[in-house]
Amino acid sequence: MSATSISAPLPRRPGLRARQIRLLGQRLFSVLLTLLGLLLLTFMIGRVMPLDPVLSIVGPDADRSTYEQVYRQLGLDRPLVVQFGYYLRDLLHGDFGNALLTGHPVTEDLARVLPATIELATLAIIVGTLLGVPLGVFAATQRGRIGDHAVRLVSLLGHSTPIFWFGMMGLLVFYAWLGWAGGAGRVDLAYDGLVKPMTGFLLLDSALAGEWEVLGSALKHVTLPACILGLHSMAYISRMTRSFMLSQLSQEYILTARVKGLPERTVIWRHAFRNILVQLLTIVALAYGGLLEGAVLIETVFGWPGFGQYLTSSLLLGDMNAVMGSVLVVGVVFVALNLLSDALYQVFDPRTRQ
Amino acid sequence: MQTPRSLRAVALAVALSAAAAVPGHAKTPNDQLVIGVSMNNLLSLDPAAATGNDVVEIACNVYDYLVEVDPLDTTKLLPGLAQSWKIAPDGRSISFTLRSGVKFHSGHLLTAEDAAWSFRRVLKLNLAMASPWKSYGFTAQNVEQAIRATDATTLVIDLPQATDPKMVLYTLGTSVSAVVLDRKKVMENEKSGDMGAAWLTTHAAGSGPFVLDEWRAKEVLMMSRFDGYWRAPPKLRRVVMRHMTESQSLRLMLGRGDIDVATGMSVPDIEAMKSAPDTEVHSVKRGTLYYVAVSAKDPKFADKRVRQAILRHLIDFDGINTSVMPYYGVYHQRPVPLGLAATLPEPGYKLDVAAAKKLLADAGMAAGFKTTIRVVAESPFTNIATNLQSTLAKAGIEASILPGTGNQVYGAMRDRNFEIIVGRGGGGAEPHPHSSLRALVYNPDNSDAAKLSNFQGWRTSYFDPKLNQLIESGLLQTDEKKQTQAYADVQRAFDADVPAIQPISQMVDTVVLRKDVRNYVGHPSATTRLREVFKQR
Repeated sequence: MSATSISAPLPRRPGLRARQIRLLGQRLFSVLLTLLGLLLLTFMIGRVMPLDPVLSIVGPDADRSTYEQVYRQLGLDRPLVVQFGYYLRDLLHGDFGNALLTGHPVTEDLARVLPATIELATLAIIVGTLLGVPLGVFAATQRGRIGDHAVRLVSLLGHSTPIFWFGMMGLLVFYAWLGWAGGAGRVDLAYDGLVKPMTGFLLLDSALAGEWEVLGSALKHVTLPACILGLHSMAYISRMTRSFMLSQLSQEYILTARVKGLPERTVIWRHAFRNILVQLLTIVALAYGGLLEGAVLIETVFGWPGFGQYLTSSLLLGDMNAVMGSVLVVGVVFVALNLLSDALYQVFDPRTRQ
Repeated sequence: MQTPRSLRAVALAVALSAAAAVPGHAKTPNDQLVIGVSMNNLLSLDPAAATGNDVVEIACNVYDYLVEVDPLDTTKLLPGLAQSWKIAPDGRSISFTLRSGVKFHSGHLLTAEDAAWSFRRVLKLNLAMASPWKSYGFTAQNVEQAIRATDATTLVIDLPQATDPKMVLYTLGTSVSAVVLDRKKVMENEKSGDMGAAWLTTHAAGSGPFVLDEWRAKEVLMMSRFDGYWRAPPKLRRVVMRHMTESQSLRLMLGRGDIDVATGMSVPDIEAMKSAPDTEVHSVKRGTLYYVAVSAKDPKFADKRVRQAILRHLIDFDGINTSVMPYYGVYHQRPVPLGLAATLPEPGYKLDVAAAKKLLADAGMAAGFKTTIRVVAESPFTNIATNLQSTLAKAGIEASILPGTGNQVYGAMRDRNFEIIVGRGGGGAEPHPHSSLRALVYNPDNSDAAKLSNFQGWRTSYFDPKLNQLIESGLLQTDEKKQTQAYADVQRAFDADVPAIQPISQMVDTVVLRKDVRNYVGHPSATTRLREVFKQR
């Protein structure tokens, strides 16, 4: 049966609301349990990791009394369970602790670095989706032909070439040679600090403040890294789109549609493509989540003060407050993306509403 | 996704070979200096807690020191906040006369009480930078009496134990803990009796030529000209330090003129910039030494013959210094840095596998043995370790390399949990032989319980009372010629006794600048002052 034929509205059944509330409660409980498990696991890994946060603070040449004093100040002399208990207690009060890396509360740091990465990743996923989906669909319709091979080759190159290489080549060509792109950082130094952060999203803040030159500079800086990250996502999205489309195009309802004499564009976009939307959403959501936590290489190449760099540096220092806070954010992002994709499933696939 | 550094280096070296030809555009403003620098190790700006050289380069521009060490002749002390100073005839007290009329950035007047309070604070907080002061016998208890202001412009430092007052003066001229803080401003920001420690982690309260505007960790640090600076306002209006870790990005930005100074660049990139028309390379020797160390606690290395075989005959000193160390270090084998009057000529240890084999055979280890080399996983440490691994193999010693972060490698060394280590350290900030000898060789108590983990001598478990005594008596020698002679004796004893640590190279710090940057003088003790720097275009 064609999925397009089951889109009629379903009658609301008695007790549905109660069931929905129960399901929501179960889902909420499972989310909290997942996040707690994630925190516990991260905490334990952090404690058994051969990294000494005290040494990060006092340096390799500190004497015994200084070392022991800082060890106590960090609370590391307490039993692990007690340390974790204190951490959870503070967390429930909204206190993620202070980061060794910056001396600031972790919440302040995250409020600074997350928008930088979200800005970059959002533009990247838009580029990746806008390019990847049409290319994947095109490749599927051209299966075995030169167009298909070309898209697959581009996809393979995009996915297997190290992203830092694209970053460096992009900088060389578009920044150093052509001068089209900005260099390192989110904005030219001349404009740094001119816009007071409101949301932390520089593009938005500069537009809200009417600082059009800052906006121009920020766009110049973000475009290249976003395009490169987007290229990487495009490779993945186009490959998956092609695969989903191929599976739909071999279905009988597509044959029926063609036999009915529907135009090929309608067959592809209104019938086959609509049926891969749900899967595609999951893929795009996961790719977006991956970009948020995994843009560290491109952030390093472009001197982008984002979340990936923050998490990596904190990890290398054994800065557990910052690591735990960051991991919690990653967990929440993935849970939120899963919930969003589940919600969108219900919009696009009526069967899930039953 | 992590890609091997070597692969990245090869790919990028090929791809970027044309980058040196990038035309320059001189984009940074005339009155601003933009420095590309890795701020990975910059965790705190508090002079009592900050470690590493990165913070020294900021502190010496935001704060003032009592005295300064001449960057061109490090044995020469120059007046700073102190117009003059006088050492008591018995060498147990130093009296400083401070300038009057000096103002902090806040507008508060700087007095000798501010200086006394700043030094006492370091001892009372007992954080990372208390170490040098504790080594002179200062404690949180005695510092109140030992360091005091007798009037608004006179500061007296009584030395709790006999030492060379020159060494103390050098510490005052080089250590970040020796800057003078605006006491009132700091105490306005005190929380829970922390003497402003939390606030000073990210703020500054100084009287130096630049005012700290903002520091966003691992992003950017900005300083602007202090118009009320007592010498004369600096020529630059603003200094911006931008966090950048990728050498190739630094190279491209330097080529485009978007930064003026780049630090921490890789050797291929430095080489490329050396021949570029708009940039020049400056290298300055630091007192820090690269070394190979073994643990004398390990029965194998407790035998002097085995130490001699490895540390004197199985390190390819020439090869390492020629092929690995350019821009990182210069050939040096003594435990006292180059450039000091006391430093003896190089002993000339060379790779000699036959001599090593003979020594190992004499020690009953003709068949060799298995061991491990701990090393920080970055250049040039890993290159030195792989070189050492191959030369050890020639004598039948099978060494596996255990790479790690600095935290992991030096952490293991502090725990005396290693066999061989390739590292870097040894004090050396103060241009005085004792600075290195104290850090590298001196070990007053070898017991595990002593936990003297700030001494590399203790970490390597090498204990030689005679060598300790020579180092102590050298420090206390008041006659300059006799002191030089005493330190020569220490170096000869080091040569003969084969301690568990062997310097192979003296650290060099290399920066690449655009040619229009003038008066930039890199300091051997990292106190690179920017107050005279300007751009000529």
